[in-house]
Amino acid sequence: MDFWTIGNKAGLLFYIIAVLYLGASDNTAWLTLAYLSYLSLNMAIPLFKRKHPKQLMIFLSAACVVYCAVRLDPLFIVLLPVNIYEFVSLHVRRRRYALLTMAVPALFVPQAMLPIYVLAAFLSYLLYAGNRVHMDKLKAYEDEREAMRDDLQRLSRALNENNEYIRQSEYTIKLEERNRLSQRIHDEVGHAMAGALIQMEASKRLMASDRDKASELLQNAIAISKEGLERIRLTLKNMKPRSEELGINRLRLFVDELSAKHAIDAKLTYEGNLDVITPIQWKIIQQNATEAATNTLKYGQATEIHFEVKVLNTVIKALVADNGRGAPKIVKGIGIVGMEERAASAGGTVIVDGARGFSVTTLLPYGSPK
Amino acid sequence: MSNVLEIRNLTKKFGDFIAVDNMSLAVREGEIFGFLGANGAGKSTTINMISSLLRSTKGEIDLLGKNIAKNAKFAKSNIGVVPQDLAIYEDMTAYENVSFFAGLYGLRGEQLKERTVEALEFVGLGDKHKAYPKNFSGGMKRRLNIACAIAHRPKLIIMDEPTVGIDPQSRNYILNSVRKLNDMGCTIIYTSHYMEEVEEICTRIAIVDHGKIIAEGTKEQLKAIITDTKDIWIGIKSEDEIKVESLKQIPGVATVRIEDQMVMINSKAEVNNLNQIIQQLIRDRAEIRSVEEQAPNLETVFLTLTGRNLRD
Repeated sequence: MDFWTIGNKAGLLFYIIAVLYLGASDNTAWLTLAYLSYLSLNMAIPLFKRKHPKQLMIFLSAACVVYCAVRLDPLFIVLLPVNIYEFVSLHVRRRRYALLTMAVPALFVPQAMLPIYVLAAFLSYLLYAGNRVHMDKLKAYEDEREAMRDDLQRLSRALNENNEYIRQSEYTIKLEERNRLSQRIHDEVGHAMAGALIQMEASKRLMASDRDKASELLQNAIAISKEGLERIRLTLKNMKPRSEELGINRLRLFVDELSAKHAIDAKLTYEGNLDVITPIQWKIIQQNATEAATNTLKYGQATEIHFEVKVLNTVIKALVADNGRGAPKIVKGIGIVGMEERAASAGGTVIVDGARGFSVTTLLPYGSPK
Repeated sequence: MSNVLEIRNLTKKFGDFIAVDNMSLAVREGEIFGFLGANGAGKSTTINMISSLLRSTKGEIDLLGKNIAKNAKFAKSNIGVVPQDLAIYEDMTAYENVSFFAGLYGLRGEQLKERTVEALEFVGLGDKHKAYPKNFSGGMKRRLNIACAIAHRPKLIIMDEPTVGIDPQSRNYILNSVRKLNDMGCTIIYTSHYMEEVEEICTRIAIVDHGKIIAEGTKEQLKAIITDTKDIWIGIKSEDEIKVESLKQIPGVATVRIEDQMVMINSKAEVNNLNQIIQQLIRDRAEIRSVEEQAPNLETVFLTLTGRNLRD
C-alpha cells in the first residue's frame, strides 16, 4: 500500500518538475527547495508507525503543497489530493468520503488548473480504491488461510486422538474378551475338571482294595469329563460369531432401512452357501451395495432396487440392480472407481451396466479358483 | 510355453466412454484364444489396438516379447488380421487380392507367388485365382479375406468375428481352417459372440464385458465358475424297477431322485458317466423314454455373471 502511494506521489512530482522545467520558471532555487521539502515530508510519512506523527506529517505536507501552490506555482495543487486521501483514510473506512474531501479544494483552484486537478485527484483515487479492494481481498484470503490452518491442526489433532482411542479400545476389548474367555472356561470347565481329577485320584487309591468302588468313581470321572468337554464345545460355539449371519443380516438390515426410509421398493435375495464368504468379502459386498444404492437414490429415479448375493462354484456374485433410467453411457466417477478398487483388492471385478436400469455386479473369486 | 502376446493394463477411452478398461491378458504360444463377449463389449477395440490400428490411451502390448509401439514393423509382419468387415477389393481377382496384401507385408518375387498360391489353396479357393470377389458368395469372400491375412505366415492370427453372416458350410470350413492353422503352429485370437463356436475351437477363453475381462480360463474352468455339477433327467415308463442305491454307486453321481416317471440325477460335471447310468437302468429293466443332460454352457456362464445374454 505504502509503495503504491509513494509511486503515485513520485509520478505526480515528476510531472510537476517536468512541466515547470520546460516552462522555464525563474525562481529555480525556491522550486528545488519546494520539491525537496515535499519529498522529505512525504518520505517521512511511511516511516512512522503511529497515527499521530503520521497525521502531522501528512498535514505538514499538505500545508507545504498549498503554500507552494499559492506562492510559487499553482501546479503544485495536484499533489494535494493524495495527501487529503491519506489523511481521510486514516480516519474513515468509507472511500466515498475521501473522494468528497478530495473534491473540496477544487472550489479554490484557479479555473485553468481545474481539469488537471480533477484528473490528478480522480486518478489517485482510482489507484487507491483499486488497491484497497485488492488489499481487502488479500486480507480475506489470508484470514481464511489462517482459519483453515487452524482447522487442519485441530482436525489432525482430533484424528490422532481418535486413532489413539481406537488403539486403546481395541486393546481394552481384547483384554476384556480374553478375561471373559478365561473366566468362562474357569467357571464352566475348571470346576468340572477338578472334580473329575479328585475322583480319578480316589479311584487310583481304591483300585487295589475296592475294585467296584474304584470303577464307579472312574465312571463318574468319565461322565464329568465328558460333560466338561461338551461345555467347552458349547462355550466355544456360542462365542464364535456366525459369520454368515453377520454378513447377510447386516445387508438385510440395510435393505430394510432403504425400503423404510426412501420411496423405493428394496428386495434382497441370496442363494448358495453363504458360509464361504469371508468377513473381508462381506465388507466389500456391503460397501459396494451401499455405494450402488446411494447412486440409485441420487440419480436413478428408480422405484425398485434389487440386491442379490449368489455363491456360485468358484465366484461370489453380488448384484445391485434398479429399474431406473440407467445410463446409456457410463462415465466412471469416484464411486465406481472405488467399487472397482475394493473388488480388485480381493481379486475381483465390477461390472457396471446402464442398459436396463442401472446395475452393479461385483464378482469375487473364492476358495481355490483355477 | 512362452507368451506370444502380452497385454498389460490396456485402456482405450473415446471421450468419456471407456471402451477397454484396464485389460491385462497373456496369450500363450499355440493357443486358440477366444474373446467372448456381447456386441460393444470392447473386443474389436482391443483387436484394433493389438494390430496397431488404434493407439491405446494407456497400457502396453508386447508381441513375442517386443513392445508393438516401439517395433511397429516387426509387429505388423508377425500379425495377420482378419477384420470383421471384409477387406478385399471387389474388382481385383482373388489372386491379385492376396498377392497385394502379401506384398504389403513385404513379400516379393518368387516367394510372393508361392505364398499367394499356398494361401488360396489353403482356404479352398485354389481354382478361383482369376475369379473376381464380386461374384463370390459371402462365405467365399470371408475365405478370401482369411487368405489375405495369412499369406505372409504370421505368428499370430487375429480373427474378428470371421463367421458373421455366412452359411453353415462355409462356417465349418472356416472353423476347420482355424484348427489347421493352429496345427501348423499359428497362435490364434478368435473373437465371436457365438458361444458355440468359441466353445468348440478355443483352448482358452476370456469373457469380456464393458471393456473388462470378467473371467478367463479353459471352457471347463469357466463352466466351473457356475457349478461343478450337471443334471441328468431320464424319462422311464415305470418307477418300480429302479434301484436308487445302485445308481448312487456310479462314479460322480451325487443325488438321485425319482418323480413322475422321471429319474433326476445330479452328478459331477467332469465325470462322463451317462453310459454307465443308462447301462445300469437297462440292467434294472427300466424302459427308457428320454434322456436329457443339462450342463452349463458358456452362455449360462455369461448370463449368470452379467445378468445379460450374449446376443442382447
